[in-house]
Amino acid sequence: MDDFNTLLEGSARAHGHLCPGQVVGVRMAMLGCRLIGLDTPRRLPQIKKLIVYVEIDRCATDAISYVTGVKLGRRSLKFVDNGIMAATFVNLESGKAFRIVSTESSRDLAHVYAPDIDDVRLQQLDGYKNMPDDVLFSVMPVWVDVPVHDMPGPSRFKVRCDECGAMVRDKKEVFLNERVLCRPCAHGTYFRPLEPGARLKIA
Amino acid sequence: MCQSHHARRYHGGMTKINVEEAVGTRLAHDITEIRPGEFKGPSFRRGHKVEEQDVCRLMRLGKRHLYTLDLKADQIHEDDAVVELATALAGPGITFGRAPSEGKLQLQAAYTGLLKINTQALVAFNLISDVMCAAMHDNVPVSQGQIVAGTRAIPLVIERQVLNEAVALARKQAPIFSVKAYHLKNARLVITGNEVYEGLIEDRFEAIVKDKLAAFGASLRETVMLPDDPELIANTVRRFSAADTDMIITTGGMSVDPDDMTRHGIRRAGVDTLHYGAAVLPGAMFQLAYKGTMPIVGIPACGLYHQITIFDLVLPRLLAGEILDNRDLARFAVGGLCLDCPTCRYPACPMGKTGC
Repeated sequence: MDDFNTLLEGSARAHGHLCPGQVVGVRMAMLGCRLIGLDTPRRLPQIKKLIVYVEIDRCATDAISYVTGVKLGRRSLKFVDNGIMAATFVNLESGKAFRIVSTESSRDLAHVYAPDIDDVRLQQLDGYKNMPDDVLFSVMPVWVDVPVHDMPGPSRFKVRCDECGAMVRDKKEVFLNERVLCRPCAHGTYFRPLEPGARLKIA
Repeated sequence: MCQSHHARRYHGGMTKINVEEAVGTRLAHDITEIRPGEFKGPSFRRGHKVEEQDVCRLMRLGKRHLYTLDLKADQIHEDDAVVELATALAGPGITFGRAPSEGKLQLQAAYTGLLKINTQALVAFNLISDVMCAAMHDNVPVSQGQIVAGTRAIPLVIERQVLNEAVALARKQAPIFSVKAYHLKNARLVITGNEVYEGLIEDRFEAIVKDKLAAFGASLRETVMLPDDPELIANTVRRFSAADTDMIITTGGMSVDPDDMTRHGIRRAGVDTLHYGAAVLPGAMFQLAYKGTMPIVGIPACGLYHQITIFDLVLPRLLAGEILDNRDLARFAVGGLCLDCPTCRYPACPMGKTGC
């Protein structure tokens, strides 16, 4: 694995800007990989051994993805929408897993670790670089039971929705009132189809 | 003799070697370690390369010999076989772990709901030599991630033909395991009884019903207290039926007293079916009616005193959208007796685990 500064530079470039979240994400990913015994997670064979669960969709998540190489499309990055600056690093081979949470107290302590900087954002940026791991993070060893339908690799399960006919992969269907349904048909959609007139206006 | 005649055949593909001579070879299967009261699990994993220092430990585990594998084209290792078995058994709402342990895979609920098992097909599956699957009871509520069954190939090596037979049966009878998501969400409650209506005694049913519904993600939209007047009860049932109601629950007025008018009121409301009486204690005077597909449930007074009654047995099935009839209520007979234990362990007890 590259050193911290190299990873931070690359991560900021990939993300689009350098921010405190990038620092937290890069450090979290480096610590997570170290704890589960992976030092080259972006390369084979280790790329096949890692799954990361992120619990927030903010800057740090991009940094974690950059450092570890995990990706949604490769099913090695899992998004659990908890709104918590936390991630769990799982070594599929050994079963070792650690959940790392960015401490809220680290925000208040940033000035202690960047005493010469007045600007709050720059203070956090620098302070997060200098803080010891146990100030920046709380770490908990955990067990993550990654079910077969969440594993990387070819899709093993697929079934057609009895309502709309969509093909539902990876056990995401719901058996509801004697019918196998996709989640939108079972639980409702996050979108609302436009009225025909409105559709025309956009077109 | 509990060993099947098939099991003895599978020495083909395996060579027995002394454990002292196994250094450098790879284990053909997980080696289980049992420390009574402390640990049971794989001490060595399949594929582990045996080292000098492992020999003593293996001997302490009682191993004097190990198998090396030389599988023929029509032979399947237990770890590969069990993935095929689990895939065929797991219907909607069922998933399983990413890797077998000691040759087993555990089927789990992918989401919270009602476990459904095609029990006849499961028995037929288990009649095929060299495969097995053991499960929880049918029709029990399960939570997301809960283990509901375990399956495996019994011998270390299974013939392709036998495995195919088991997989074909499971696919033909699919789903053998599934989880029904809870479908009904909105309940309305009618509390009957002159004594409650007139304020002589305080109602306790509402809180009980609310809690029991909430456990399955359903909620109580409205509660009405009524005297023992069949016309008023009928009118309220009609009004509830016309509203956004998935289920009507009534409490009280279910026994044989002359003042008990609830079921007369429900009948007067114009229901399609009405079943009175169930083979469950507590809960003999339970009533289940349907207006269309909407259930109208009558909880007898035992629901106030007993922690678990017939209501707890039928509620998850009704919320999962199942239409129950008098035959279903009669099927509760075996396993329908609450033993009234000093400390209630339901659902980890025989109550409601119907045997017929």
